[in-house]
Amino acid sequence: MKQHFDVIVIGAGHAGCEAAHAAARLGAHVGLCTLSTDTVAHMPCNPAVGGTAKGHLVREIDAIGGLMGRAIDATGIQFKLLNRSRGPAVWSPRAQADKKMYGRWVKHALDAEANVEWLIGKAGRILVSGERVVGLALEGADEYACEALVMTTGTFLNGLIHIGPDQHAAGRAGEPPSRELAESLKSLGFEWGRLKTGTPPRLDRESIDFDRHADDGTFAVERGDMPPVPFSFLSGAIDRPQIDCYLVHTNDRVRDLVRANIDRSPLFNGQIRGIGPRYCPSLEDKIVRFPDKERHQIFLEPEGVDAREIYVNGFSMSLPRDVQADLVHALPGLEDAVLLRPGYAVEYDFIQPTELTRRLETKRVRGLFLAGQINGTSGYEEAAAQGLVAGINAAHRALGREGFELHRDESYIGILVDDLITKGCLEPYRMFTSRAEHRLLLRIDNADLRLTPRGRDAGLVDNERWDRFCRRRSRFDRNLCVLETTPLRASSGDRVPAAQLLRQPEIRLVDLIAQGVVPHFESEPSSAAIDIASAETTIKYAGYLRRQQAEIERSRKDERRRIPPAFPFERVPGLSREVVQRLNQVRPDTLGQALRIPGVTPAAVAVLASYVGRFTPHPNML
Amino acid sequence: MFSTNDTIVAIATPPGRGGIGVVRLSGPDAHAITLRLVTHNGSLRPRRATLTRIACTTDAAAEPIDQVVVTSFPRPHSYTGDDVVEVSAHGSPVILRAIVEAAIDRGARLAEPGEFTLRAFLNGRIDLMQAEAVADLIDAVTPLQARAAFDQLEGTLTAAIAGIDAALFDLVARLEASVDFPDEGYHFVEPGALGRAIDDLAGRTAALLAGARRGQLIRDGLQIAIVGRPNVGKSSLFNALAGAARAIVTDVPGTTRDLVTEVVDLDGLRVTLVDTAGLRETSERVESEGVERARRAAAVADLVLIVVDEDEAELVGTKHLVVQNKADLERPSRGVRVSAVTGAGLDDLRRAIIAALDVEPVRDRPALTNVRHIALVERAHVSLTRAAGAARRSMPEEFVLADLQDARAALEEISGRRASEALLEHIFARFCIGK
Repeated sequence: MKQHFDVIVIGAGHAGCEAAHAAARLGAHVGLCTLSTDTVAHMPCNPAVGGTAKGHLVREIDAIGGLMGRAIDATGIQFKLLNRSRGPAVWSPRAQADKKMYGRWVKHALDAEANVEWLIGKAGRILVSGERVVGLALEGADEYACEALVMTTGTFLNGLIHIGPDQHAAGRAGEPPSRELAESLKSLGFEWGRLKTGTPPRLDRESIDFDRHADDGTFAVERGDMPPVPFSFLSGAIDRPQIDCYLVHTNDRVRDLVRANIDRSPLFNGQIRGIGPRYCPSLEDKIVRFPDKERHQIFLEPEGVDAREIYVNGFSMSLPRDVQADLVHALPGLEDAVLLRPGYAVEYDFIQPTELTRRLETKRVRGLFLAGQINGTSGYEEAAAQGLVAGINAAHRALGREGFELHRDESYIGILVDDLITKGCLEPYRMFTSRAEHRLLLRIDNADLRLTPRGRDAGLVDNERWDRFCRRRSRFDRNLCVLETTPLRASSGDRVPAAQLLRQPEIRLVDLIAQGVVPHFESEPSSAAIDIASAETTIKYAGYLRRQQAEIERSRKDERRRIPPAFPFERVPGLSREVVQRLNQVRPDTLGQALRIPGVTPAAVAVLASYVGRFTPHPNML
Repeated sequence: MFSTNDTIVAIATPPGRGGIGVVRLSGPDAHAITLRLVTHNGSLRPRRATLTRIACTTDAAAEPIDQVVVTSFPRPHSYTGDDVVEVSAHGSPVILRAIVEAAIDRGARLAEPGEFTLRAFLNGRIDLMQAEAVADLIDAVTPLQARAAFDQLEGTLTAAIAGIDAALFDLVARLEASVDFPDEGYHFVEPGALGRAIDDLAGRTAALLAGARRGQLIRDGLQIAIVGRPNVGKSSLFNALAGAARAIVTDVPGTTRDLVTEVVDLDGLRVTLVDTAGLRETSERVESEGVERARRAAAVADLVLIVVDEDEAELVGTKHLVVQNKADLERPSRGVRVSAVTGAGLDDLRRAIIAALDVEPVRDRPALTNVRHIALVERAHVSLTRAAGAARRSMPEEFVLADLQDARAALEEISGRRASEALLEHIFARFCIGK
């Protein structure tokens, strides 16, 4: 008899690990299928976590009970809070990871879950009965039965690596692609497409004299924050030694070399058809598409405390290896640098995420969940966020629970999922803070206040995290009270509550605390910046927050107004054929989502609204 | 609300008798239904008038009831964007109703109020502003109102709003880039330039709003109350301005008891004139109520004409004009001298009224005329002003952006690119059948 799992997860990258961890935590028996346990939570590109909006995603994953925040806090080697010159709504943590340590930490965390079993092998065929997933067959090996299957295949589906004219089938450098699995998935009728991403060359640390070039100004030294602000609400102070990164700029020689060899770039000679991300352009793109920009920033980032490899951030390319070496040597201070491995572009198949529900389950096959790059996204954080949602819902599906959905007005994860399932992908999708309608309310400092109760309801927040959260929430409430009641002397000489002073832009809470004038303000040493930000933002920007909250309330009626699952869009008079087609493709679950579908006009949604109210499904349709 | 892919029919001309009456059909079967109504054989040539006869029962032996001209406008080149057929018959309500009923018998549905225009909007033929303009154009009483509505239908306001929105969008995009790409090492908008850019936008919304009061007066018209002591000739003046003997005129003081109103075109402005009871202390109950109504009318009017002959005027209303009537009699001159009897000075009075209202009916292009538009432009303006303030106080971009985004939302709501169902129903409920 076949071995049975509640949930099988294909792939142990950032999406797969979160999915397996979440499902196991919820009580599901999980099989985690991977080619090798050496590449668990691997970082095949940038050895870093976070960044603008991505840092928000990590805080939210953590608040719900996921792994990524704790993993990076345990293995980060340079922490920065980006956008610190701006307001707390757009602060975003970012950290360089020790890539090897990061993978090992996540592997140990999964090993510690009794409910997770490793399935080492190559996923081959999805077993479907009727319109329901029933199991997975490994290539040339056993079949396993399951109630729910989470696919997180990254760039492996028909992966094709390009280095100049050389092409070879591979999921990542040195790993075989998944062909059988790709065919198995496509045979189920999903709409799919092809995307492209890329990575820069790696250099040998020993071949670069960092100290000399930092001293003579060839490299600008980039230091992290001291002390680091942790990602996780559970982390204590981070006292690991921090490393430096270095900044250099491209020059005319780099530009001329790219131009002279552009016909050898698969990106520009027609060899690559997949669409790459505009926000993370290859070096070829930078030079060709932005000829007016004289120089581009390149960051040199160690891949670990003792790692030999230096990641050349901003220098991703698919040019032939000899040109890559010449380009590296053209950069100031890298004249003698040794190329350990070249950069490359990789093309891979993805499934249009309009095939998915808000739980990341496919509409065609019940019990089949997709997360990560297979849904057209890029980035470890975007992948992890989807893995978390898919893992929780896969467990809920297997265990017969109600399901877990996040919405746009409460989280970046909700925005991510809603954008994917509503708009589909034309290029690799990356999170930005500008994608949020109510950005001022979706901050890193209040991610726990927004989402930890939701994670608790879903079953992922354990007692330890919950107790900590309850203490933090009451600390937050007390702090607001303290600031409202602590009298301080204003410049006019009057004594006014601290909160009133804080409404003036130039008065900062951190200064008041340093002056010792609000002695009853409480904060955790490891997250003082967060405690301060939560209280200060709530007071200083109360007017803005109130306005955004009011907007949410106003739009919530339409936004969350349900469209029944079986609603017959084609029977609504007055909708054009194109609109009906789009509605049927996406099958929006709310009027708010319908309004965001490209090509669906407000007028069409107004017509739709009047019919949704009247619709009662025929018993046969349910 | 409405269903919009069946075929609708309605009488498009006003109720009552006329030389010609038009029945309009719109929808996929408009052409087929028409062919089953008329004796003409073969299909109708697009946009060509066809003279034929119409029979209104399915009975093959039925006699035609009228000679008509039918014109077919195939989609998408029609008013609604769907197939449209117009049937011009003789303007008898009996015939027109019979045609409509016959069309319904053959599968058409009676149009809801505003439905033809709704279809034009849904099919993308016109935007929300233009749809509203259709209603205004139909309701227009004065030529100036018609012109204002026609300008809006032509898209003048659409263009003005779109221009502001485009500039706003560009600014928002650059600020968003600053927030989302902090590592790029430069500002996408220089901090000093930001305040100026927003000020420029706020200046443009302010200019729209400055024209709004005049636009609104042109669209909605205004009220002028005529008050004064008994027997100073208010009703005579009222009749003279109205150009008709609407109010009873006698030499008995206190003849006018109740309010008498008449809508007149005053140099293009739609003006409702209100004649009132003479103001005096009285114990007579009917007259006393009349005096009370006169005071209330004066209180709400846009302008009060205080008519005097020789007595002191009692000043009522904040905005008023003293009019000395009975200028045909030799009296000392106070205020504007007119004679309701001879008509002398009436042109001077009209000019004085226009001047007092501060609404030169000049021939430039009026833009904002609609309360909904004004409210939304005001919202955009308030948001822009707040954003400019935040920029000047060097608040972080995301706060400036919060208000700039709100301004964009308001502007997009004007053109209907964002709109709620309630809003659309409210707007389309204003149309009368068949327009």
